[in-house]
Amino acid sequence: MAQGAVAADAQYDYDIIKKFAIMALVWGVLGMAAGTYIAAELAFPFLNFDIAQITFGRLRPGHTTMVIFGFGGNALFATSYYVVQRTSQARLWGSGLANFTFWGWQAALVIGVLGYLNGITDGKEYAEFPWYVDVLIAVVWVAYLVVYVQTLRRRSQPHIYVANWFYLAFILATAILHIFRNLAVPVGLFHPESYSLYSGVQDAMVQWWYGHNAVGFFLTAAFLGMMYYFVPKQAGRPIYSYRLSIIHFWALSFMYMWVGGHHLHWTALPDWTSSLAAAFSILLLMPSWGGMINGIMTLSGAWDKLRTDPIMLFLITALSFYGMSTFEGPMMSLKSVNALSHYTDWTVGHVHSGALGWVAMITFGSFYHLIPRLWETRLWSTRLVYVHFWLATIGIVLYIAAMWVSGIGQGLMLRAFDDYGNLAYTFIETVQFMHWPLVVRMLGGVFFVSGILTMCFNIAMTIRSAKLEQAAIEAKIAAKLAGAGA
Amino acid sequence: MKLTHESIEINAGLMIVLIMLAISIGGLVEVVPLYYIPGTVEKVDGVRPYTPLEQRGRDIYVREGCYTCHSQMIRPFRDEDMRYGHYSLAAESQYDHPFQWGSKRTGPDLARVGGKYSNAWHVQHLNNPRSVVPESIMPNYPWLLKTELEYSDVAARMRALKTVGVPYSETDEEYQANVDKFGKDVADRLDINNAERNLIAQAEAGNYDGDPGRVTEMDALVAYLQVLGTMVDFSKYDEGYFAEFR
Amino acid sequence: MFEWLSHMENTKPLALVIFFVTFVGIILWVFSGKKRGERLESYKNIPFLDEDEDSGARQPKEVADKDQDNG
Repeated sequence: MAQGAVAADAQYDYDIIKKFAIMALVWGVLGMAAGTYIAAELAFPFLNFDIAQITFGRLRPGHTTMVIFGFGGNALFATSYYVVQRTSQARLWGSGLANFTFWGWQAALVIGVLGYLNGITDGKEYAEFPWYVDVLIAVVWVAYLVVYVQTLRRRSQPHIYVANWFYLAFILATAILHIFRNLAVPVGLFHPESYSLYSGVQDAMVQWWYGHNAVGFFLTAAFLGMMYYFVPKQAGRPIYSYRLSIIHFWALSFMYMWVGGHHLHWTALPDWTSSLAAAFSILLLMPSWGGMINGIMTLSGAWDKLRTDPIMLFLITALSFYGMSTFEGPMMSLKSVNALSHYTDWTVGHVHSGALGWVAMITFGSFYHLIPRLWETRLWSTRLVYVHFWLATIGIVLYIAAMWVSGIGQGLMLRAFDDYGNLAYTFIETVQFMHWPLVVRMLGGVFFVSGILTMCFNIAMTIRSAKLEQAAIEAKIAAKLAGAGA
Repeated sequence: MKLTHESIEINAGLMIVLIMLAISIGGLVEVVPLYYIPGTVEKVDGVRPYTPLEQRGRDIYVREGCYTCHSQMIRPFRDEDMRYGHYSLAAESQYDHPFQWGSKRTGPDLARVGGKYSNAWHVQHLNNPRSVVPESIMPNYPWLLKTELEYSDVAARMRALKTVGVPYSETDEEYQANVDKFGKDVADRLDINNAERNLIAQAEAGNYDGDPGRVTEMDALVAYLQVLGTMVDFSKYDEGYFAEFR
Repeated sequence: MFEWLSHMENTKPLALVIFFVTFVGIILWVFSGKKRGERLESYKNIPFLDEDEDSGARQPKEVADKDQDNG
């Protein structure tokens, strides 16, 4: 076994993957803890403590950035570098450049998040990074593309596996989205602030073209790449239908870019734009569900694995949440539903059923598969994986249910009239109504954070025992050599 | 050569090109026409760029992340009309870099908050929201009243905004164009050469924070809030006029 | 016929027809042809070309057998 381990380490560059994987968990804990804290601030506003740096408005971009780009981004770097090497059977190209992507990405996150807390922000949702961080990210991203494509070109057999298509689309789309959303004129060369190139209605459309495709490519396509590799590997059987994955890939890539306008129904954006976006949102249900079916059916004939393998449980639950949120999304893009749901917690709940249910769960499952392989060992505890699974699942269910109550409730109250045609409720009455749902949502967050902490403990013990095993083997060899020498 | 899906699968370059094609179309079709289709931004009188003080207030609005809880986009529904006022026009945010329409109403919409409350109410509310609305869950912003407004860079800010298309004036020619477009009073306040002087004058005359001796961040933020949604005089237009643009 | 095309308000049904026909065409093309199907499906085994004997991670034993079935 030890011999094999040496061979794998020599064949593939695992060090860079280990670094990204660990940082994904670190940012995950920070980001999810921040999320739980701002959830608590909404339920109990005294928690803002009159400290500017931790008020909701400044901490919330910190939460979204740490979770999307910190947890999600690092997990994608880690898994994409792993998948591209394993499916190409080639070593990662340019280890120096790959290291640059690691340090550059962590630097962007640290500078960005500390900036928000101190009031440096672009004020564009999910693109709050100030202009100099935008430049850094653009450079890192080009390096990422180069490393990725050059590694693909080293592949030892002609075909590029489907997981890599998704990662490739994610890298390319993110580059385009990032650049065009962040075109801006800085106030000065040494001034942290800048003004967006676009204004008003055009800025709004560019924002949601960016914002929804951050979901579509960063949080969906790329994690589908993860799914197309780790689900078959963990299940020990190939993906259900390769042809379905071809359709899934091209339809998803083409259609996602059209749907952002559904965030702007009933606004000053012209009707034709948001209607077109809504039409594509509904069409998008087909490729989304095609992908979900492709993933879940991979397990067909081996359903018993769900009883015995908690990692499989994570992966299949993730796909189920993917199916659920890609059904809920098109429904919320209908104008009549959107009139109620927009501006309310329903949207927040929808995002989290995708972010916690799909993105985080598929990442957890993939990491439980990946990390023992990186460190050439076994998971320290399978039981703790079950514990994590249930903590996470309960957390998500509490979160989503609370947000449905809060969002739909507020939406209905705001549009209610009394018998005389006056508004039945003031705005602040809806805020009062939301108190208990907000408390339950916060509890959901506590469950989810406990889950990822459990995972971190399990992973830390796994790595520790791997090092102990390694040391024991080395001691044995040393003893043997010493014996032979004597 | 026969083109099959394998041709793409074995050729990273071809795959990159095709992916770029697939992902470019949607954005192009939906964003570019917004610059060319007439009427996307309604023709309406009264909308002007922000004065230096208001723009600094807007910067603070962005800095504090107000958009994470407040929208600035009223939709054409009966309840929103009764609660907030006339639905928002694209024209009303045409000088907003970036836009702040928002996506969530944890607090009420602010698109037409201007003039609804007194300056004193805003100061009290921003300082301690629960002292005027006991059920509010908004954070306190005590530092706004305590912090002197940084305005040494206001001319540089206006120059940057001018670069992205806001009609602030620097030359006589530009000033004259603004006089023709907005009238002399407004044109004077959009002059970059007098930016600092105009900012201080407005803060002193408006006395937004109740402390005439100092120009604080509170002055700027309240000046911004008080102008929101007040630029268009809706009594001058027919009910049906704006519907034609939608 | 061509006059109908030149009217702006007809772009929606036109786009619908174009997209729908393309979509159905792609599906028919991908899923028709037994040979093409077999060839395309053979690529799904790529992740298993690189077996993990190297790692101690619990690799279910039946994987190897399954692979032989598919190959």
